[in-house]
Amino acid sequence: MNLTDKEYVERCRDGHPEDFGLLVDRYQKPLFAYLAARVGNFPQTEEAAQESFVRAFLSLKLLRKPESFYAWLLGIAGRVAKEQFRSTVHHERDCEAAQFMIADTAADGGEEPPLEESIAALPETYRQVILLRYYEGLSCQEVAIRLAVPLGTVTKTLSRAYARLRQELAARERAGQTINTHQP
Amino acid sequence: MNCAECRDNLVACAEGWLNREEEQQCRAHWEACAACRTEFEAITRLQQRLIARGQTAAEARLVEAVMRRVRQEPFQPKKETIMSKLLKHRWGFGLSAAAGASAAILLTILLTTPKAQAKAVEVMTKGAQAVAKLTCIHLRGQLRTLPADNFSYINADSPFYTIELWKQFEPDLKWRIEKPERVIVMDGQSTVMLIKAGNNTGVKLPQRTTSAFDTEWLHRIANLSNTLSNELDNARTKGWPLNLAEETGADGRLKSVVTIQTKSGMPDNDYCKNTFMENADTRRVYRFDAQSQLLESVKIYLNRPSGEVQIFDLNQIDYNQPINPGVWKLELPADVSWAQLPEQLPILPDNEKYASMTAQQAARAFFEACSREDWNEAGKFMSPINDQLKEYLGGVEIVSLGEPFSSQNYPGQMVPYEIKLRAQEFNMRVANTNAAKRFVIMGVYDRKLRLQQDLKWSGEPEVLTNNDAYARLTPQEAVQAYMDAQSKFNWVEMRKFASEYDVKETKGQVAMAEKQGIDVHKMMPAFQVGEATWSAEQSAWFVKCRTISTQAKKWNIAVRKDNPAGRWQVDGGI
Repeated sequence: MNLTDKEYVERCRDGHPEDFGLLVDRYQKPLFAYLAARVGNFPQTEEAAQESFVRAFLSLKLLRKPESFYAWLLGIAGRVAKEQFRSTVHHERDCEAAQFMIADTAADGGEEPPLEESIAALPETYRQVILLRYYEGLSCQEVAIRLAVPLGTVTKTLSRAYARLRQELAARERAGQTINTHQP
Repeated sequence: MNCAECRDNLVACAEGWLNREEEQQCRAHWEACAACRTEFEAITRLQQRLIARGQTAAEARLVEAVMRRVRQEPFQPKKETIMSKLLKHRWGFGLSAAAGASAAILLTILLTTPKAQAKAVEVMTKGAQAVAKLTCIHLRGQLRTLPADNFSYINADSPFYTIELWKQFEPDLKWRIEKPERVIVMDGQSTVMLIKAGNNTGVKLPQRTTSAFDTEWLHRIANLSNTLSNELDNARTKGWPLNLAEETGADGRLKSVVTIQTKSGMPDNDYCKNTFMENADTRRVYRFDAQSQLLESVKIYLNRPSGEVQIFDLNQIDYNQPINPGVWKLELPADVSWAQLPEQLPILPDNEKYASMTAQQAARAFFEACSREDWNEAGKFMSPINDQLKEYLGGVEIVSLGEPFSSQNYPGQMVPYEIKLRAQEFNMRVANTNAAKRFVIMGVYDRKLRLQQDLKWSGEPEVLTNNDAYARLTPQEAVQAYMDAQSKFNWVEMRKFASEYDVKETKGQVAMAEKQGIDVHKMMPAFQVGEATWSAEQSAWFVKCRTISTQAKKWNIAVRKDNPAGRWQVDGGI
């Protein structure tokens, strides 16, 4: 069974909360990578990622565009990271310093716009191929089996996904923005 | 190769999908074309970045930890399905009123100061942490229940039966729960329950589940970090007392014992109180090894007005022990009849006629349909109506129906009834191919020789001191002797012809009926033993039996109409 994000969200809302596990499975790695750049060490990243998913689950009924689940999840994760950062720094420095440090670490590659947010902006079919290929570490052949599509479809989709992802990154670089924390 | 062709191939080149010739063409092109070369470099940079991001997250395994927390959250009120209750009581006494003697079991002195409570919280938290990396678990315990009844059904007057759970959390969730005559397997794709009592009944949920068919209480124990943090929350929010004691275990090691008193919030006179785990007032005792911090046992005691009695004893917990993959396979018998899920209940052309009935009218219509053996009509009130039920209720006569009543935690109503069941014919399979060389009962069959119940023998029948006298009995005489012993509740004599399992179960049911104020001597119908036939195929004799008199039954039928068709459905108490 390989449903869309929208379908999983709707199933969770319709009394199948266990299906949320499938959304976690789908996005745990990009979310983790996204938070790792903001939070720091592994335990803290893991904690922040768990917290983000649980908050998303609890607010699932508020999500207006279920197809934008991942972008929305990143928004939640961004807030969780900030909170976690503040509470960590709180004991050592004042809030201003914390804000400064958040701003400093907010972008994953320093100068480059954050990759996971750009991935969130891709159409779902492109996003799935990118995530499976690079975050799950599957070969294109394995991606084809997972998605039950021909290998040629995967390679074509991946080429298009690259083009689209580069457009997204370029647009973000131009806009100089690092956020995609809107509430769909 | 021109620029357009080259750019079409850049990702393929970076990914290594091109054959040697195509790749050489590409490289030749961008050696001469700076723009395409820059493009290729941009793509490989992005590719490297994606690979690096993926590697950062390679170790992320969040599903189980998140789902453990998610399961704790009240996402939405849990909807009871008709099926979950439907299968509760059909083959048991069910919904029994609790009464009778108790065996008070005392623990070591409990500390009740806030400091001790804080310490108890610490023990439970550490216990939860000790198993944070749980990939699979196996639980084996004993529950006072009925072998085929609902998984959360408890009865303080019933004997203990083994209940077992296997659960795999990683790499994907699978679970199995089993008691003697009821089993559920969630194999990662779907959830199937098989009820083995009498005719085999199956229920299938086409999806993977984290819990189903009233097994939530057992899953709560298996999801240990969840259980313990749940209990801590209960203690905090509901004010349930939580205490800690320390004692030396049989292995000489120090044990930390956490005890929590739970309250169902149901009034004492509620019909369903103390009949299901979630409706029960209990004392739950968790015992941890102080050194390893691992949970070693769980005991649950039922608090009744007449005293306390132990209902659950979980004494085997295997952490992360490999589970045989065969556990996730459920062998389904060929004759299984599948129950309809409540959400699939069809809206009938004359649905309104049924939807507008009162609970009592529905009970009457159901029994009347059974009386005239109109199974199509009876099927509108219950699914599935299998051969065993047809045999049992066919030709039934209604003596009276009482005023319906309700229970706090039950979404339907109970209708008191008194019926007369018609005389029934059945067969006993007997065989003397055992070490004692005497005829013993191997199974019960309906009049058409369809298996109703296999009587399981855990070992060979014992060779008696006066075995010869018993070895001389004919198949009919052996069945007659068994029937006589049963009608006199002579358990010692019964054991000579039937398995310990059968005797234990009969004994338990009689004890329960007595507790409920039923005159057990009138409850047992008289039997007549008929001719015996040899079956070469089964290497056994079949002895024909029939009840002489009609059997009266007085009980409460549970019905509910919270389904899309809005029709009353029989849910238990048959």
